[in-house]
Amino acid sequence: MSAQTAAQLEMAELLVEALNLEDIAASEIAPDESLFGDGLGLDSIDALEIALAISQKYGVQMQADDERTRKAFATLASLTEFVQNNNGK
Amino acid sequence: MRTAELEYLPLLERRGDDCVARVSTLLPALGVQPVAVRVDEFIGQVKRLAAHLPEAGYTINLCDNRYLFTLGFCAALVRGQTNLLPQNRAPATQALLREQYPDSYVLHDGLDNLIAPCPAFNLNQIDLRGEPECDVPQIPASQLAAIAFTSGSTGQPKGNPKPWHTFVTSSRMNAQEMLGSDYRDTLRFALATVPAQHMWGLETSLLLPLFARLCISDQRPLFPMDVANALQQLPAPRLLISTPVHLRALVSSGVDMPEAAQLLCATAPLSTELARATEDCFGGDLIEVYGCSEVGSMARRRTAQGDVWQLFEGLEFAEELTVIRGSHLPQQQPVQDRIETRDGRAFRLLGRGDDMIEIAGKRGSVQEMNKLLLATPGVVDGVVFMPEPGQQAITRPVALVVGKDITKQQLSARFAEHLDPVFMPRPLLLVDALPREDNGKLPRTKLLAFYQQLRS
Repeated sequence: MSAQTAAQLEMAELLVEALNLEDIAASEIAPDESLFGDGLGLDSIDALEIALAISQKYGVQMQADDERTRKAFATLASLTEFVQNNNGK
Repeated sequence: MRTAELEYLPLLERRGDDCVARVSTLLPALGVQPVAVRVDEFIGQVKRLAAHLPEAGYTINLCDNRYLFTLGFCAALVRGQTNLLPQNRAPATQALLREQYPDSYVLHDGLDNLIAPCPAFNLNQIDLRGEPECDVPQIPASQLAAIAFTSGSTGQPKGNPKPWHTFVTSSRMNAQEMLGSDYRDTLRFALATVPAQHMWGLETSLLLPLFARLCISDQRPLFPMDVANALQQLPAPRLLISTPVHLRALVSSGVDMPEAAQLLCATAPLSTELARATEDCFGGDLIEVYGCSEVGSMARRRTAQGDVWQLFEGLEFAEELTVIRGSHLPQQQPVQDRIETRDGRAFRLLGRGDDMIEIAGKRGSVQEMNKLLLATPGVVDGVVFMPEPGQQAITRPVALVVGKDITKQQLSARFAEHLDPVFMPRPLLLVDALPREDNGKLPRTKLLAFYQQLRS
């Protein structure tokens, strides 16, 4: 398991907070572990929660018909990178 | 009206030149361009598809695109087949249905997890272009149009049989109650954030356009930006069909929403605050609908203005208020909630029995989850319960477990094997002991205090 960057830890904390994953420490989420499916096992309601938390914290809006969004939701690392690249603030 | 005694009922009650759907996805079956589909074009496509469908008694309709799902649903009806509507497309679900209904095939639009061997028909590999048709197909009133499955939290899904006459009568009723008395006159353009497979989406985004002047978009947007874009593409007056989870995300996203003259919301209770915020956000009236898979939509209220529900005309409570009756329903049905009413028409909900919970439109039993947990090898003691609602859009069950030689991962795997994903306990915490009283009871107040203590 590779170590989290500071930005990834911040995103992991957002996930834990938004999704009530209190049995998981933010530092435990591996950057390249799948968020959906077999990994953390999140569902589409979680995707909506994550998108909402991201829009409120970073001002970045996700769009499902955008191929980049689909890729962004793969892992903690890709989600962090997506927000960094689209953060206009 | 006693429709059950009539022999045939129409597939739809719309004018041939009226618009029934807007397709914004590139569907090979319709040619390459996104299109607005007229009723007579739709009928032509339904008839051509019906002629192509495999010979079978049942269609497992797993189409993802709303328009293709609708075409498949109607073509199956015309062919005298019954639509099987499972809760999800998982391979295990397909396998179970095939086992229970061997005389079936899967209708899909490019599903990548099809089970094999299983007859399947891909709606994206057929050309349905051709002449429009004005002659509306007539369906036997008693034909079983669909079996809608509701997931128990554990064990077997339960099938709810829907004869065509039930859908016809309930759709006319829904049109009147949800859209108003001008439902045959005013053309509305609708967008739904819910899939057509489940009862709420089926009633509103598939059946309503067949019996009211509604033109439905084939899109199912998820994120707020997607919803705003999809709504923007529709002419006014717009209708948005959604759920409390989606509305909450839309309202708090900060995205500017196009005006929607009307909104329909169901599947879970909506708060007055969210109802008001939604009306402000879209500049239209929000009607919340109460229902269940067995009956369909039953009552409505303008949640921003009051908490009293109005029962739909055509339905009535039995004397003891625990069951609901309608002449179009195959049988009277138990009501899941406790009801308070003065006149039998206007009512308040007094909450569910303690056991039943509903998450994302799926119903589950906390008691069954507890049975599952306690029957797990390595579990010494444990409890699954619903905590007080928090900041999240939905409240999920919590599991506290006293285990011996069992890991959290093993427990998660055990739940995952038996539970629909929405019912997965979150969090699942291992503890040394539960705060049981001397007589072994675990009062809710003690449990909640204990849980609170664990979190802090």
